[in-house]
Amino acid sequence: MSKFNRRDFIRWSAGMALASGSLSFPGLLLAATRKVVVVGGGVGGCTAAKYLRKLDPNIDVTLIETKKAYTSCFMSNEVLSGDRTIESITFDYEGLKRHGVRVVIDSVTAIDPVAKSVATESGDTFGYDACVVSPGVDFKWDAIEGYDEAVAEEIPHAWFAGPQTVTLKNQIRAMPEGGRVIIVAPPNPYKCPPGPYERAAQIAMYCKHHKPRAKIIILDPKDAFSKQGLFRQGWSKHYGFGTENSMIEWVGAASGGKVESIDPSTRTLEAEVEDFEADVINIIPPQKAGKVAYASDLVEGDWCPVDKLTFESTRHKNVYVLGDASSASKMPKSAYAANSQAKVAAAAIVAKFNDLHVGEPTFVNTCYSILSHDHGISVAAVYSLDRANNMINPIKGAGGLSPMDASDDQRKREVSYAHSWFKNVINDMME
Amino acid sequence: MKYIAPRSPVWIFFLLFTFCFFTPVQSAESELTILGETPPPGFDPVTGERIIPNERCLTCHGDAHEKTDTRDDGTIVDIYADPEKMEDSVHGEQACTNCHATIDRVPHREAPDVVVGCVECHRETWDKHRNDPEGKYERLGVVMETIDSYYDSVHARPNRHDQSETNATCYDCHEAHDIGTLGSLQRAEHRLKNPEVCGECHRKELNEYKESVHGKAVLEEKDSESAVCSDCHTTHTIDDPDSDKAKLSITKNCGDCHKEAQRTYFDSYHGQVHRLGYTNTAKCHDCHGGHSVKGEDDPTSEIHTNNRLENCRVCHENANENFLTFWPHGDADDRENYPGLWFFKIFMQMLIFSVMAFFWVHVFMWLYREVMDRIQGKGFIEDLNKPDVVYFRRFPAVWRWIHGLFAISTMTLILTGTTLLFAHTGWAKAVVVFLGGTEMEGIIHRTAAVIWLGIFLAHLTIAISNIWSKRDSFKWFGSTSMLPNWKDWDDLKGMFKWFLGRGPRPQFTHWTYWQKFDYWAPFWGAAIIGSSGIMLFAPEATAIILPGWMFNIATLVHAEEALLAAIFLNSVHFFNVHFRPERFPMSTTIFTGTIPIEEFKHDHRLEYERLVESGELDNHLVSRPSRRADLAASFITTVLIMAGLALLTLVLIGLMTSPV
Amino acid sequence: MRYNNIAILALLTILPALTQAESPSGQALAFTCAGCHGTDGSSVGPSSPSIAGMDPDVFVDVMKGYRNDKRNSTIMNRIAKAYTDEQLKGMAWFFAKQKLQVSPQNHDPQLAVAGEKLHNKYCNKCHEKGGAAGDSGTLAGQWMPYLRYSMADYIDGRRPYPRKMKRKVDAVLEAEGTDAVPALIHYYGSQQ
Repeated sequence: MSKFNRRDFIRWSAGMALASGSLSFPGLLLAATRKVVVVGGGVGGCTAAKYLRKLDPNIDVTLIETKKAYTSCFMSNEVLSGDRTIESITFDYEGLKRHGVRVVIDSVTAIDPVAKSVATESGDTFGYDACVVSPGVDFKWDAIEGYDEAVAEEIPHAWFAGPQTVTLKNQIRAMPEGGRVIIVAPPNPYKCPPGPYERAAQIAMYCKHHKPRAKIIILDPKDAFSKQGLFRQGWSKHYGFGTENSMIEWVGAASGGKVESIDPSTRTLEAEVEDFEADVINIIPPQKAGKVAYASDLVEGDWCPVDKLTFESTRHKNVYVLGDASSASKMPKSAYAANSQAKVAAAAIVAKFNDLHVGEPTFVNTCYSILSHDHGISVAAVYSLDRANNMINPIKGAGGLSPMDASDDQRKREVSYAHSWFKNVINDMME
Repeated sequence: MKYIAPRSPVWIFFLLFTFCFFTPVQSAESELTILGETPPPGFDPVTGERIIPNERCLTCHGDAHEKTDTRDDGTIVDIYADPEKMEDSVHGEQACTNCHATIDRVPHREAPDVVVGCVECHRETWDKHRNDPEGKYERLGVVMETIDSYYDSVHARPNRHDQSETNATCYDCHEAHDIGTLGSLQRAEHRLKNPEVCGECHRKELNEYKESVHGKAVLEEKDSESAVCSDCHTTHTIDDPDSDKAKLSITKNCGDCHKEAQRTYFDSYHGQVHRLGYTNTAKCHDCHGGHSVKGEDDPTSEIHTNNRLENCRVCHENANENFLTFWPHGDADDRENYPGLWFFKIFMQMLIFSVMAFFWVHVFMWLYREVMDRIQGKGFIEDLNKPDVVYFRRFPAVWRWIHGLFAISTMTLILTGTTLLFAHTGWAKAVVVFLGGTEMEGIIHRTAAVIWLGIFLAHLTIAISNIWSKRDSFKWFGSTSMLPNWKDWDDLKGMFKWFLGRGPRPQFTHWTYWQKFDYWAPFWGAAIIGSSGIMLFAPEATAIILPGWMFNIATLVHAEEALLAAIFLNSVHFFNVHFRPERFPMSTTIFTGTIPIEEFKHDHRLEYERLVESGELDNHLVSRPSRRADLAASFITTVLIMAGLALLTLVLIGLMTSPV
Repeated sequence: MRYNNIAILALLTILPALTQAESPSGQALAFTCAGCHGTDGSSVGPSSPSIAGMDPDVFVDVMKGYRNDKRNSTIMNRIAKAYTDEQLKGMAWFFAKQKLQVSPQNHDPQLAVAGEKLHNKYCNKCHEKGGAAGDSGTLAGQWMPYLRYSMADYIDGRRPYPRKMKRKVDAVLEAEGTDAVPALIHYYGSQQ
């Protein structure tokens, strides 16, 4: 009896509350340890793993990730400007281990939602009571003719931070003065909506000092993009956007910005109206849910439908799909969104394991873009769930963009807060 | 699972049982949550309100180096609360915020309202702990009474200039951070600080007080025995100083220290009126000065010889130098300082004692004898079969009127006079209220006195003119003369013999010796009471010719003589005339003017025989009074006897309850 | 702390009626802040302030200040508008119960020593215990850039001073010149 500690007491009380509500006596009282397998070591997966342990240390959490280290996509544009190294955005999983998460480096081949197990390339299977899947995005490789995974080694997408980010950075540095960089932006939806435009600014930031006559052209299949006004204002201020000598040009859909194909040998892009040649090309292809989602029958259309109260797949019970792969409208596909969703899913899983009421979810997204050393902009939103329509709606009257008339000082502070955002997201997901 | 054991089925059922019955209430009531969050440390788990530790308050309010703060409008405000004193005070264990209940944030985000309510907390604490067996909260009972008193006091009333505030409230006088326990040094200090505290508002009074003997002793010599404000004004029952209640209470409170002065004052006319609850005579502070009370030798003192007359003239506008020789605290028991007064008191008391002693012995022996005779079937017994139809005319109408008015005015004088003499009694206060106050009483007393004296003089005039008209035949020592003679002496001796059964009842002429005494006593009384009364009637006029101490003596003898008269008339005279068994229950002769012939024969046989002998009897015989006249006389006599007995009772009550 | 989480969930199960217009729990709301303010409010910097262990009333004041655009901000005014008073209090109580994990910061030790003296003379009555988390907010161990922004906002009139603070700031600036503010900030940054 001496080992009947406070935690036990709480469980007992909780159980009693339920018993008095004429529910059957909860399994938790006699249950063995619950197991959760987390597939994917990105923001969604890591955050879910950490918060599952945080909310209920009795849960056995295993995270399976292909790569040994995590390189964050966010802030990876700063690698292109040279403001940070790829190493500075690469992190190991030791922090998660300290939280009691078992980290397995392996590739998941598929999830068997019936057998409730996860199979890996190396032949292991992991049984689970709940499986969290956060596979991120995959590209629709057939969308741009002539562009495939092999070509991407030379003409990088750099949309998963890592070697291609470095490749792109090196290509820009190797480019002759007065050279031309083309960024091919993807159609909606895709992860990190302001990413291509911040990327243009970060490349311009490098070029401004080292190749002042360089041109950066964004070919965009869209007519509008995230934080557009703020980007245009920032580009104007720092890179002459809107003038004859603008370093950055944006070609939207109406101007023929949609790219049909590429000739990798000549580095020529065939767009709707004209062809574009460039010294450096960065193609960010259209996106869909990650491979594992497809292998596990979690996808409808391009993305994984979920019950947004818990992020449990509507296709398979006990499987929770988070982050970029999930269909979480109206949240964007962003790190902060994944982080926020992971906590909702973790709480839902803990509630379910303990036969408790699932609390109302709440979500936040904040997203910074750094246009120059002293120019940051942001967008923020706080969301609540409309259960009836399974829709995550931004709370009216709140959220929104950095004001257009912000002072230089405010813009500068946003850079600093962007870096804080970066450090704290990393910290919150895996430290 | 690490802890399988506690989750065995037995425990489950045990706990199921336990929790079903005991926990729901607890979980529902004990902890406050907001959106699932319980209050953090430093906040009350039940109310969710911030718990502000005293140390936090004292960071600023306990800094002896920075005792003031500057408000936003530039005013300087005292913010210091001495932590040591606070700790030693009765409130030492209280949290600051228990009293300063509106403070919910520290540092204060807005200029805080100093809103402190002492009453509710004390009341609640008392209600909760009044039955505490250790008596730890006993003192709170006193506080409760104090609170009630306070609410009745002038301080609790709305301020004239700002009705949202009371004139003063608890913490205006009590520095709550520094209230000592009983007997503590803090209490002694608080007492010494009392004048300063009151002086915060009552500046003028404080300045006067500072110059006074009290003020000098307290403020300069730190003598906590001397009077501070609250000793005179009370602490919590403070009233408007212009109110009777306050004046009475102040006089009473002076006596807490000045016991002798109070006693002698209460013996004086001033004090008697005051004691009846009326404040329109001189009170302690009227003569001594209130706040500026000083010794007699101090030339600035109101009772210094140079200033005293001015003082008297506040009331006695035409007071002259002779007033200065009045002894306001004259003490008839103090032979050393007031030998004259002492002498008169002794004399008067001896007189009262001897007269009363003699006549009460006379009364009781007479009673004894008549009772004994009656038992033996002797003495004057009315023959019921033969009621008197023949009466002897004893008094003409004028004497009957004079006696009636004389009786009524005497009784009125007794009633109105003894209320002053026995001002300490409840009945006196009731009577004076009934009569409409001391001033009205004074008017009645003086009116009755004038009538009384008028009757006395009228009687003298008539008597003298009667004698004058019969001057040729009038025998000064004849049977119808009121002048005492040797026969009276013999009769007195004879009566005592009869009382003792050693002789027959003496036979009397027209007037018996006790009737002569009853007749002559008012002459003495009129001289004493009348002359002293005239002196007191108009003091300013009297003082033109007489020294002030004559008032002391006049007051004394007036009262003593009146007392003698009151007791004598209502006991001895009543017995002699009405209550002795032969006459009981009353004789109406003085109002009908006639006496049954048999009764006349019995009491005045010698005169009867003389009249028979001289053949004059028929001249004096009248028929029995009409039934109406008889009833009227009986009624008047009854009323007067009853009134007289009532007065006697009141006087005796007054005498027996007199403070020594 | 961990054990409380289930207790909170349990309470939410027992007392759903209490939250009629259902709101996310204080904990759930607070969790969404971590991306900028660190897990449970202990920011790892370099400039987002730590809010772990923050006085709950101060938290609510700050958030209401943002919500009403009374307080200069970059992003918080947009975020704060999403929350009800009750939600702010729920979050406030959550953060107040979290232990502040302070990260080391680069600072000038000499300036910090000077700052400590100034703090004790001008600031310590409100920001007692060296400015540790308390009823006047959290200064000790707070991120220095944030403190810098705050002081600039106060001095330049972009943020209303709390009662009486202006007097103290004016006094220290008058007595010590403009070096006073960096000294104080280095002192707070020096505290672990």
